[in-house]
Amino acid sequence: MSLRIGIREGFRTITRNASLFLLSLLVTSIALFLLSLFAFVTVNLYHFLNILDEKIEIIAFLEENADYEALTSNILKINGVRDVIYVSSEQALKDLQAELQETEEVLSVFESNPLPASLRIKLLAKSRNARGLEEISGKVMLLRGIRETIYGGELVDQLKKITSVITSFDIGLLLIIIFSVIFVIFQTIKLTIFARATEIDIMKLVGASNSFIALPFTFEGIVQGILGGFIAFILTVVTQRVAVSFLSNIYFPQGYFFVGSLLCGIIFGIIGSSLALRKFLK
Amino acid sequence: MITFDNVTKVYQKDWVALQDISFFIDKGEFVFVNGTTGAGKSTLLKLIYKDEEPTKGTIKVLDQNLRLLKKKNLPKLRRKIGVIFQDFKLLQDRTLEENIAFALDVTDTPARDMRKQMLEILTYLRLSHKKFSFPYQLSGGEQQKVAIARALVRDPYILLADEPTGNLDEKSSQEIIDVLLDINYKGTTVLMATHNLKLIKKVKKRMLRIEDGKLAADQ
Repeated sequence: MSLRIGIREGFRTITRNASLFLLSLLVTSIALFLLSLFAFVTVNLYHFLNILDEKIEIIAFLEENADYEALTSNILKINGVRDVIYVSSEQALKDLQAELQETEEVLSVFESNPLPASLRIKLLAKSRNARGLEEISGKVMLLRGIRETIYGGELVDQLKKITSVITSFDIGLLLIIIFSVIFVIFQTIKLTIFARATEIDIMKLVGASNSFIALPFTFEGIVQGILGGFIAFILTVVTQRVAVSFLSNIYFPQGYFFVGSLLCGIIFGIIGSSLALRKFLK
Repeated sequence: MITFDNVTKVYQKDWVALQDISFFIDKGEFVFVNGTTGAGKSTLLKLIYKDEEPTKGTIKVLDQNLRLLKKKNLPKLRRKIGVIFQDFKLLQDRTLEENIAFALDVTDTPARDMRKQMLEILTYLRLSHKKFSFPYQLSGGEQQKVAIARALVRDPYILLADEPTGNLDEKSSQEIIDVLLDINYKGTTVLMATHNLKLIKKVKKRMLRIEDGKLAADQ
């Protein structure tokens, strides 16, 4: 089987059925754009949830004159702790002042700094749940020099529940979208194959092998997938630019989206064309 | 070369196209398959190049039992059988030369052999001067010659012709018959389906007559 002839035949069918190819390309591009848009929303949702997750921490307030260095090294030894950051009472006041710029007079009622020094305890991913927080907080409380600990236990579990619901919903939706995209591409490729039924008949008649007959159509499916993927990527970039003007903090890993769009296009193109050809090559 | 042994073909809904057909065609024979429209002539030809499967019976072509022929080996068998049709089945968007080259291309013929074979067949059928014409620029007779050229270019052992003169006037029909007889004279086994009894009587070759799916005469 000659790849050269297969590709040449593929190009010929594209150029001689240009309008059908363009129609089919349009449908493929829209389908792949929908998939890309879904990925864009999902990636940003998880990015946001990840930021929230990263923020899960325990704050341990220190007693006056507590040895924060010794406490830091002891807390770091606790299983599940990733990092400990010391916040002095002066730093805490500065932070508060920065947060309450317009209501500075609230602080002026105090003669001295009322804020205690604290340790911000960052956790490993496995401990960022209500049980982990409770366990680590309990261990921290046992240390000499700790006055109090605070953490959002129930809130954290709520966040985890929401994440898991979103994940299941997301996977379900993804499967539906992938099947729809393959179905749409399969149907449009089938149209182009129907338009060339005589050609396939003649190929079979003169003794072309099935793989040879499939080659130009698979090639067409790949070209359609690459172009469709590229158009879908451009549309996603445009969407991202528009989204940025409304929302800050939009996450868009451009390189991954580019490669992903092309790869999905190629894979769906191949699957679509082989499904569509199956009937003809029996 | 071709053996039918009690072959029956039933299509869906119990429509019997062929019933208990048995015959043997030797190498180098010229055989007409005659019958009215719908008698089963086309089905008989389709069974030979395995476009259809028999419901019952055994078919042997070129010493191969078609029932035992593996799917992957079917293209190899078809390269040894040329087929032409009443409606020519030419690709309208390709020139005469491209139409013939298509048969060589898809069977992966080396470029050098391809040029030689093309030149030979075009000269033989006196089509060289029209090689850049498209099918719609040719007469019916010329189009059928292109179809014959496409079938012959791979030098088949058997040529199957399904009503090849059905769409042609008398003069063109005679030309096509002359070409088929000449091909047969050079050694190719020819099986031609036609409803035209006048033509068969003129040529005086073996005839299989099919009536209502049954072999009514072999003479």
